[in-house]
Amino acid sequence: MVDSLVCNALVDKLPLGICVLDRDFNISYWNSFFADRMDMPSDVVLGRNILELFQDEASFLKKKLKSVLVLNNPSFSYWEHRPHIFKFKSSRPITGEETLMYQNMEIVPLQIVDGEVQSICLILQDVTALAGYFNAQKELALQLEAEHAEQRALINKLEMAQGQLLQAEKMASIGQLAAGVAHEINNPIGFINSNLQSLKDYVANLLKIVEFSEKVIDKATPDAYHKLKADFYERQQYRFIRQDITELVSECLEGTSRVAAIVKNLKSFSHVDNSEWQYADVRDGMENTLKIVNNQLKYKVTVHRDYDEPLPQLYCQPMQLNQVFMNLLVNAAQAIEHNGDIYISMKCHEQGVRVAIRDTGSGIEPRHLDKIFDPFFTTKPVGSGTGLGLSLSYSIVQKHQGQIAVTSERGKGTEFTITLPMLTEQQVAEKEQQARNAAPHLAE
Amino acid sequence: MRDKLGEELRDVLQELMNISMGQAANELAKLIETKITLSIPHIVTITPEEFAEIFDSADRYWFSRQSFLGSLRGEVIALLSKSGTDTMASLMDYPLPLDDATTEELILELANILAGACLKGFAEQLELKANLSMPTAYRPAQDKERQFRWDSALLMEVEFKVEQSMFGSKVLICLEDQSVDSLINRLNTLLE
Repeated sequence: MVDSLVCNALVDKLPLGICVLDRDFNISYWNSFFADRMDMPSDVVLGRNILELFQDEASFLKKKLKSVLVLNNPSFSYWEHRPHIFKFKSSRPITGEETLMYQNMEIVPLQIVDGEVQSICLILQDVTALAGYFNAQKELALQLEAEHAEQRALINKLEMAQGQLLQAEKMASIGQLAAGVAHEINNPIGFINSNLQSLKDYVANLLKIVEFSEKVIDKATPDAYHKLKADFYERQQYRFIRQDITELVSECLEGTSRVAAIVKNLKSFSHVDNSEWQYADVRDGMENTLKIVNNQLKYKVTVHRDYDEPLPQLYCQPMQLNQVFMNLLVNAAQAIEHNGDIYISMKCHEQGVRVAIRDTGSGIEPRHLDKIFDPFFTTKPVGSGTGLGLSLSYSIVQKHQGQIAVTSERGKGTEFTITLPMLTEQQVAEKEQQARNAAPHLAE
Repeated sequence: MRDKLGEELRDVLQELMNISMGQAANELAKLIETKITLSIPHIVTITPEEFAEIFDSADRYWFSRQSFLGSLRGEVIALLSKSGTDTMASLMDYPLPLDDATTEELILELANILAGACLKGFAEQLELKANLSMPTAYRPAQDKERQFRWDSALLMEVEFKVEQSMFGSKVLICLEDQSVDSLINRLNTLLE
């Protein structure tokens, strides 16, 4: 059996705070863990009431101690809930880091006589290191979570940017192709057109010559020759040729002018045809465009305007934007079969202007929605649409560093929204320079 | 082990449980000065699957666990209802409203009182030793396939209800296989 001196020494060496209380919560034992850290020697506290000594924590301690007395059952307290029951002095007076000790406490019934608790032992454990580690982990987890959320947002943004980039890249490659094709087509179409013009004149002249000769023959020659001439004309289908030839040439000319129009579109699409940047009010542009397309609108469409007053002047290519408005307005008009409305709104937006054009037409089929900005995509009958209008609009808006979006419902109508930012001359110049650097052959 | 216990011993055990749980309820009632009712103890041998099912009620209960060592070894699992905690908090002199930390503190304290009382009474009746450790909150992984190192365990369940509140609690004393043997030996000795 170990004698009580050894026992006392042992308890003093334990890295635990140990305090024994009687039924009235008076201190009957107080080991050096407590004595040293509280700066309260054992002989000072012995016999004193623990609740009076630690009045700040009295109600909490009383509750715990009472439950041990009544229930004859250990009680406890964790650092997570009550980190610092006893305000110990810092154990690191030299190296600093004034951290309060994190404590786990256990209160156990010590002596029980006839089922009644006679004394209570309070055991205090220093869990500062554990708590520090745990808290650091928790902080780390929070940090990780925040980073994770940030990453997720970034990924979303990236995905969106990638989508836009993909569309822009498609545009750029189509643009390069178009520029080449336009250039190649432009020359032959040019001489075909001018030759056809000459041919038209020649044909007119030739026809006059033939008519004149015919009259001369009719007047000057014997009847036998008349018959011969008539037979020959008949065989060579002169009457028909005479009637058809002018038509043919006119049709050819119309054809070339259509080709020329397509080439012009292609050129502006590929930015070869740069129109001037200047400050302009987009409302004026819209009004001018409305006048131009009035013919297609006036019999079936009511136009409703909702413009903010005043709208900021935008640094833009007004003619190009007019082109966009025209494309959208014509499309809107074409989507309306009999009677309908077009709602045009121009509103100030955080950093620019938002233009929305909404029609009450037939709407766009959902499966077409992600293709409408693709070059050469059209649902119009062959010959009436080039499939370039919207892709051209898209690239113009892009060039203005804006965005164009569409929402549509089958049978209800379609709304195009264009967001145009406020640009400065410098921004535009930089952008142009970048574009030239990236694709030098386009600027030729 | 299904029939290890046998009908007769089960009845004895149930009677013992009944007495000790009654004491537990009385002591708790003394502390919170409120009347407490309790169910008839339910004693059953369970498989790990059945044990895992207990924790499907996580939406209604908080769980705590405490291990005990001595001649009886095992764990006490306490299920404490999420309803009525505010009433319990005011009975136990906790400041309202409860935040997450004080809620856990309250839950653990209640679990400790109930489990301690149950186990103490039970061990005393049997004249066996069982030292209960401090409780910790138990949050079993929900979807994970739970792996237990045992095939069957003895589960003694009793349900407490605090009158005039929605609060209820179930205390499960779970004994591992070896302890069931010492329990049976002990019961047989007592019966002789």
